[in-house]
Amino acid sequence: MKHYSPLQMIRNSTFPISGVSLLKWGGMLVLLLFPILAWAQDAATQAMSVEYRDIPGIGSRNIIWIVAQQHLLLAGFVLGVPIFAWICEIVGWKTNEPRYDKLAKEFTKLLTSAYATTALFGGILLFLLIGLYPKLMAYLTDIFFPSFIAYCILFILETATLYMYWYGWDAMQGRKKALHIFLGLLLNLFALGIMIVPNAWATFQASPVVIADGTAIERAWSAMQNPTWWPVNIHRLIANVVLGGFICGAYAGVRYLLAVTKEEKEHYDWMGYVGNFIGVFGMLPLPFAGYWLMREIYQYNQQMGITLMGGFLAWLFILQAMLIGVLFLGANYYFWLGIAHRIPGSEGQYKKPIMAMLIVLLACLAVWMTPHSLVASLAEAQKMGGTHHPLLGVFGVMSAKMTVSNLMVLVTFMSFIMYWRAGKVETAGWAKAAKGLMGVLLVIASVAVIGLGIWGYFVPAIIRINYFSVAQVLIVLFIMITFTPLTALLMKSAKTTTEMVWGQMPVRAGYSLVLNAVMVILLMSLMGYARSSSRVHWHIYGVMRDTSEYAYSPALGYAAAFMSLNTFVFCLLAAFIFWVATLGDKAKSQPPKDEPVKVPPMGSSTPAMAGGAPTSEETRK
Amino acid sequence: MKSPLISAAILLGGVFAFLKFILPLFTAPLPASLIYLYLAIVLSGIMIFGTMSAGGLEAFMGPIYRFISGEIDGPTKMARILVLIVFPLLVGWQTYTKLAPSELPPAENRTIHPAPPGEFVGLANPYPTNESTIQEGKGIYAANCSPCHGPNFDGKGSAALGFNPPPANFADPGTIAQLQESYLFWRIKKGGVGLPIEGMPWKSAMPRWEHELTDEKIWKVIIGEYDGAGQSPRTWEEED
Amino acid sequence: MSEVALLQLLGMSVVGLGICILLFIKSKFLRVLGFVIIVLGSFSLTALSVPQMASLPPAIESFDIASLKSPDDLASLGQKIFFSKGQCALCHSIGPSHSARCPDLAGIGAKLAPEFIYESLTNPQAYVYLDYRHDQLPEEYPAQMPYINKNPIALSKPEIYSVIAFLQKMSGEPITIKVEDVLNQEPDTKELKVAGHARANDAGNIILAQSSDMVVE
Repeated sequence: MKHYSPLQMIRNSTFPISGVSLLKWGGMLVLLLFPILAWAQDAATQAMSVEYRDIPGIGSRNIIWIVAQQHLLLAGFVLGVPIFAWICEIVGWKTNEPRYDKLAKEFTKLLTSAYATTALFGGILLFLLIGLYPKLMAYLTDIFFPSFIAYCILFILETATLYMYWYGWDAMQGRKKALHIFLGLLLNLFALGIMIVPNAWATFQASPVVIADGTAIERAWSAMQNPTWWPVNIHRLIANVVLGGFICGAYAGVRYLLAVTKEEKEHYDWMGYVGNFIGVFGMLPLPFAGYWLMREIYQYNQQMGITLMGGFLAWLFILQAMLIGVLFLGANYYFWLGIAHRIPGSEGQYKKPIMAMLIVLLACLAVWMTPHSLVASLAEAQKMGGTHHPLLGVFGVMSAKMTVSNLMVLVTFMSFIMYWRAGKVETAGWAKAAKGLMGVLLVIASVAVIGLGIWGYFVPAIIRINYFSVAQVLIVLFIMITFTPLTALLMKSAKTTTEMVWGQMPVRAGYSLVLNAVMVILLMSLMGYARSSSRVHWHIYGVMRDTSEYAYSPALGYAAAFMSLNTFVFCLLAAFIFWVATLGDKAKSQPPKDEPVKVPPMGSSTPAMAGGAPTSEETRK
Repeated sequence: MKSPLISAAILLGGVFAFLKFILPLFTAPLPASLIYLYLAIVLSGIMIFGTMSAGGLEAFMGPIYRFISGEIDGPTKMARILVLIVFPLLVGWQTYTKLAPSELPPAENRTIHPAPPGEFVGLANPYPTNESTIQEGKGIYAANCSPCHGPNFDGKGSAALGFNPPPANFADPGTIAQLQESYLFWRIKKGGVGLPIEGMPWKSAMPRWEHELTDEKIWKVIIGEYDGAGQSPRTWEEED
Repeated sequence: MSEVALLQLLGMSVVGLGICILLFIKSKFLRVLGFVIIVLGSFSLTALSVPQMASLPPAIESFDIASLKSPDDLASLGQKIFFSKGQCALCHSIGPSHSARCPDLAGIGAKLAPEFIYESLTNPQAYVYLDYRHDQLPEEYPAQMPYINKNPIALSKPEIYSVIAFLQKMSGEPITIKVEDVLNQEPDTKELKVAGHARANDAGNIILAQSSDMVVE
């Protein structure tokens, strides 16, 4: 190994990014931490004597499973909420609507109490990992130590920013609002950093790269840049927004169920709508991000790809399809309930399109859930000539699944557009032409997506993966990108025929919000299990083998019981955190009840997030 | 007035009849697990549509509530008692049939193409595809593989009838066309016993050819197989 | 009672409890919890309804050098090392690949002499050009390739020889590495000890799993 002077080390660092100043700072940091690095290596040598410790009864893997899952779910919430709290705040700032600011503040309040619990679970997880998996942790520490320091610094910055953001909320209204928004931006940037640094550790375990000689920072950086790092970052970033949105929706749903006064009902009905809206809009690009991640895994190692998609974990993806299907159905159901109950008298008018959308969704779900290898008894398998059905076997492959997931995204988007337009009549002269154009585009897009899906059976896999699937995604994205501004323009001049009434939703709307949140949490637990078991018997895939007694991957049913347990514990935790967070304002909220609920005047350019119904004084008259 | 409950029952029954009796006229019968899955999806659709509006909920659930709570008089009252007796019996019978020992093997969930072991991932065929390797490969195929996999590469060899599951049909685009050459190399070299547990090694009769054929012959038989079946191996390259 | 039946019983009890809560309890919050446990219980029951199968890790293989008989044995040992302990496949592919970060090794055994491959593995810097693009003394471009005979991978000479034998075979070439060459190699005791740290200290055994390999700098 060559010996470089520290300055040479910095100069020689061959990082592919151009953040030169960052590198220099990082280099200086390592110089300062040199004694600590030496100590860490000593510790690594000593830790070799013990490879694993166990907790009898529960088992080391199970306890890590629970704690890591709780930490991850809390972290997902804590990182997802600031994103849309910040967006809500900006919307409130730009449109001068205090109810958005109030909503953003309410979310941030939930954030502060959840943040401490997240850190608590992170600490427990760290102690358990060091204690139970010393060999693995020593190896990871050896490679990633500089990133641990970066993580700690990010954590300090995030905490400081969060405190300023929350405690400065009221103080920074008015002229200082821009500064507060900037704080929100910083908060989100640090949160992003906090997410992607540990992602690198986890993705390195799944897709390691060879660590050549070099400085500590070089080694850490080359390990961080593993093939699945960015796909996981993007996937988790979007999923966190979805989780945050649906959990806030569920919170609003429960509060709506518990609400007694009309004002409370109206407020939480609206809040539930916003939460569901954010969740759905985050969910629409999520299949695409997941597809990208899966593709990277396949390319990184075919063995891992087959284990996931066609091998041991194939049934897990059927369960995933079921959960996503329920989630899509639940989100649409909530939209449809909104049309039926918030817009009185619209029921008959929208019954037919709703039925059509429901049938399409269910047909897609049926295709998605049809497994490639069927569960069959001996007699049934003999009649089919194997566990592949001659006719329905075609539904079991990727081409069909990609097509139906795109169609489901499309239907959900149209469901939202329908909700947006409900109870209004377009007045613009070009409205008819625009609606006709949208109809034609929609038909063309659906035909194209299905056509590509069918054609995909007849081309080599690589053509399908590289072009057809990407084309399908782009078609759906194109529809979303063109329809949203077009509808916004249409709605700008539209006349409201039926006023949207908040606080009239039936009880089952609250339950469907809760159901959506449970589905998202379950999905995250399920895919966490998939990510972890795709490594099969490796701690670090192909590099460090798991030689503990827990090297096997548990069967799906056992894992599902654990996921359910984790989801339930998380729901209880979240309920507790929210209960604690709202203890304070019970007393405070009494006096303002006398004030009449002021419906904020909204401009004609009502954002879609507001529920789409302008309730300003002008339109009421 | 047509009750939504009745139309729901008709729809469910119709879907069941179609899947169970009409579809098998055209293709192989569906396994029970799949029929249950589709019925569950239809049922959830009915529930969603039926409970959309307040009126719909009443029309849909009201008769059920009234029936169970016994608010309706007349002959339906007797039917209610009958249902309350028969339903637990049905559940009990179902539980009994599930738990009672039977000589039938349990339904299985075999992974046909499980993940190969690490050392067989990412090998490339060292021999080029040309007329001589194809001919050589087909010759080895005719001598060793065709009794089961068939002279026409369609899995219909003279010995094929004796096996369950049947030998793979290479002409089917769902078999070797979905796989890379390295995967075939692993399957041929290690045979059925080399499958991981999810592939149920005890179910495959594929011999372990490493004792009979050299690696060179295995690679060449792969070339011959793809050519004979009219398929091409899955690759990550677009040139092919 | 099997584990699956036990879990099924548990799942059904949870669903039953949830239904009881929804039927008999008025408290809204508890009703929501009851609803949640019905959903979770049904999910678990669904997952339990498909045939269950755990994925077991393969046995850890230990390879006795003395059992090597033919060059083909060497190559199959080399194949295992290439795809596991040697970590070669983390960067290299055999045949074209999108994910390979380093040169494709298809046909490499035919193109290069075994001595050259050995040198490339143990001294990757040997033929890398110097960087003259600045005023000072020329500097080395650090090679992407790690030193295979040093930590963290630290293959022993017999192991490297078997990998070369594998590469030759994968190129459709006759294997020129002789079994005697490998057997007569005095294994560097220090290196082998690192390779087989916790499990086997008897020199002459090559542990294929990396269970016991630690990075020691």
